[in-house]
Amino acid sequence: MTAHAETILPPRPPAPQQSAGRPWARRGPGFRLAVLLGTILPPVPVIAALLYTDWPPVTIFVAIYLPLQLIAACAAAISQRGTRAAGDAVIIVLAIGATLLAVIVLGSILSTIAIRGYQAMSVAFLTQNTLYISPSTPLGYGGVGAAVLGTFIIVALATVITVPIGIATAVYVTEVRGRAVPYVRFFVQAMSGVPSVVAGLFILVVLILSGALAYSALAGALAYSILMLPTVARTAEEVLKLVPEELRTGALALGSTRARVVGQVVLPAARTGIVTATILGIARVVGETAPLLLTSLSNDRTIINPVGNPIASLPVFIFDKVSLPFPDAVARAWGAALVLMVIVAILFTAARLLSARRFAKS
Amino acid sequence: MSSTPPATPAATPASTPTAAGGSPAMQSRHLSVWFGKRKVLEDVNISFPANTCTALIGPSGCGKSTYIRTLNRLHELIPGAGLAGDVLHNGRDIYARDVDPVTVRLAIGMVFQKPNPFPSMTIRGNVLSGLKLSGMKRPNHDEIVEDTLRKAGLWNEVKDRLSHAAGELSGGQAQRLVIARALAVQPQVLLMDEPCSALDPASTLKIEETIRELAESITIIIVTHNMQQATRVSDYTAFFLAAENEPGIVVEQGATTEIFSNPQDPRTLDYVNGRFG
Ligand SMILES: Nc1ncnc2c1ncn2[C@@H]1O[C@H](COP(=O)(O)OP(=O)(O)OP(=O)(O)O)[C@@H](O)[C@H]1O
Ligand SMILES: [Mg+2]
Repeated sequence: MTAHAETILPPRPPAPQQSAGRPWARRGPGFRLAVLLGTILPPVPVIAALLYTDWPPVTIFVAIYLPLQLIAACAAAISQRGTRAAGDAVIIVLAIGATLLAVIVLGSILSTIAIRGYQAMSVAFLTQNTLYISPSTPLGYGGVGAAVLGTFIIVALATVITVPIGIATAVYVTEVRGRAVPYVRFFVQAMSGVPSVVAGLFILVVLILSGALAYSALAGALAYSILMLPTVARTAEEVLKLVPEELRTGALALGSTRARVVGQVVLPAARTGIVTATILGIARVVGETAPLLLTSLSNDRTIINPVGNPIASLPVFIFDKVSLPFPDAVARAWGAALVLMVIVAILFTAARLLSARRFAKS
Repeated sequence: MSSTPPATPAATPASTPTAAGGSPAMQSRHLSVWFGKRKVLEDVNISFPANTCTALIGPSGCGKSTYIRTLNRLHELIPGAGLAGDVLHNGRDIYARDVDPVTVRLAIGMVFQKPNPFPSMTIRGNVLSGLKLSGMKRPNHDEIVEDTLRKAGLWNEVKDRLSHAAGELSGGQAQRLVIARALAVQPQVLLMDEPCSALDPASTLKIEETIRELAESITIIIVTHNMQQATRVSDYTAFFLAAENEPGIVVEQGATTEIFSNPQDPRTLDYVNGRFG
């Protein structure tokens, strides 16, 4: 591009001073007014209903707010852009409305757990075990420290066991494409239908009652793995399928072996998705109670050894405490639920941040 | 246009490129290719003399891409793929039982029609990816990166952001990046399937210059729909054609100047003058 001669152009007049704008967002004042009325009017009767009736919020939302908002949005759209815009308005309101509804339901669950669980919170609750606690001991003594540690150990073990197997299964199905693919697929699908209590029972009968393994974190982790594997394998399969075929052919055309194509091109390209697969796998099991009731039991002491002795865990802690006839024990269960929720939130955020951190040095 | 009637003069044996001297770097003999039960190429005999550039031309769907993919054993990756005949590289059958496709593909590189840089690697990482993927050892990586990117006409645009993601390049830049990537492993033969179809005229010229330069030392086989490009870069040309529901055949092949100025087959004449296809 440097080869050809320089073309002589007349001197350019100075460019006017400009700053970045968003010309596509320019609207007339009538638009603002319509949007304002469309957003302010419908909530008014909603607030009135919330204050003066005792209907549940979801009913108010569906029966009062949504229809009003639909009418308001249609009216605003038609006044500004004619009748054809009404369809747009309906779709937008329904989409936003459905999202809001989901957020309300989720929000009420979260806020209930947060409010109820908050009563139990204290440093002691977060750090101590339940060794010297009887069901009627008041709050302020004893807590979920040991259960948090136990859940971490069990889930970490299950993840370490499951993720390699899950990725290997996905690689077999999408990359090796061997003869057994239909059977592997069928098996994984069948596994995803296993009830969690059956997974626990299986480990109990095959490994614990046979004497191969004690009631322990490892036994719990193995039961969890049975539940986690289908999720990890199928999600990983889906994300590997999204890697364009051209990348594989491109790598092969460079003289790459199959193994290197998978290890250095396909898996790195699908890294974010594989993190997601892991997260979904963890999310699938982290609150499962039944398998742990049969395999890792519970323990009042703080346990680190993953084999050899029963271990406390958050789901079993909640299960144990919530059925006791003492308000403080029930409060502990809510507190444990809050802790479980926060742990899941932290895990998810961390995984997202990690997978967003892109390029390592080459 | 069935392939049976001998009405048209058979131009094949008289003007094979080998007649021009030099031993062929690549050669296909009686090559037929199938997808499942469907035969898409029949009895393709072409020799590619060492250190020359050969253009494969022909209308869309006549099997040029399929043919070029049999030359470095990428065809076999498609489920249901079939093949008969021989492909020789330096006189050795690349489909012989004891030949590892990985070594074949390392010696016979390929640039695809659609740019396919590796999104998980940086620009620099992409250029060097062939070395990493094939386990080839070459010293002076910085030099390789600059040299191949210059040859691909991309150096000036990316020299300040070698460690950026390859995904941020434009389509044409990505295509020049994969050309650099293919050059970094120093292939003996370079297959190019419409490498310039995503490029602007300036980059196309740069790539054509590079092809001319490379053809001094390696063998290049390029598929192109651009007749001017074929005349500019190639020493030899093979014209592929497929009649409706018939496998593709090589209608005519020979020195590029001959094919374009004095074709023996009327169909070639029509095609190179843009009267069909
Ligand atoms: N993966 C495949 N499976 C089945 N048939 C295929 C496959 N790829 C190509 N074909 C068929 O083989 C024939 C030749 O295709 P090919 O891609 O080689 O044509 P081409 O000459 O490269 O065309 P173009 O100039 O459009 O790239 C076409 O009829 C096409 O439909
Ligand atoms: Mg093609």
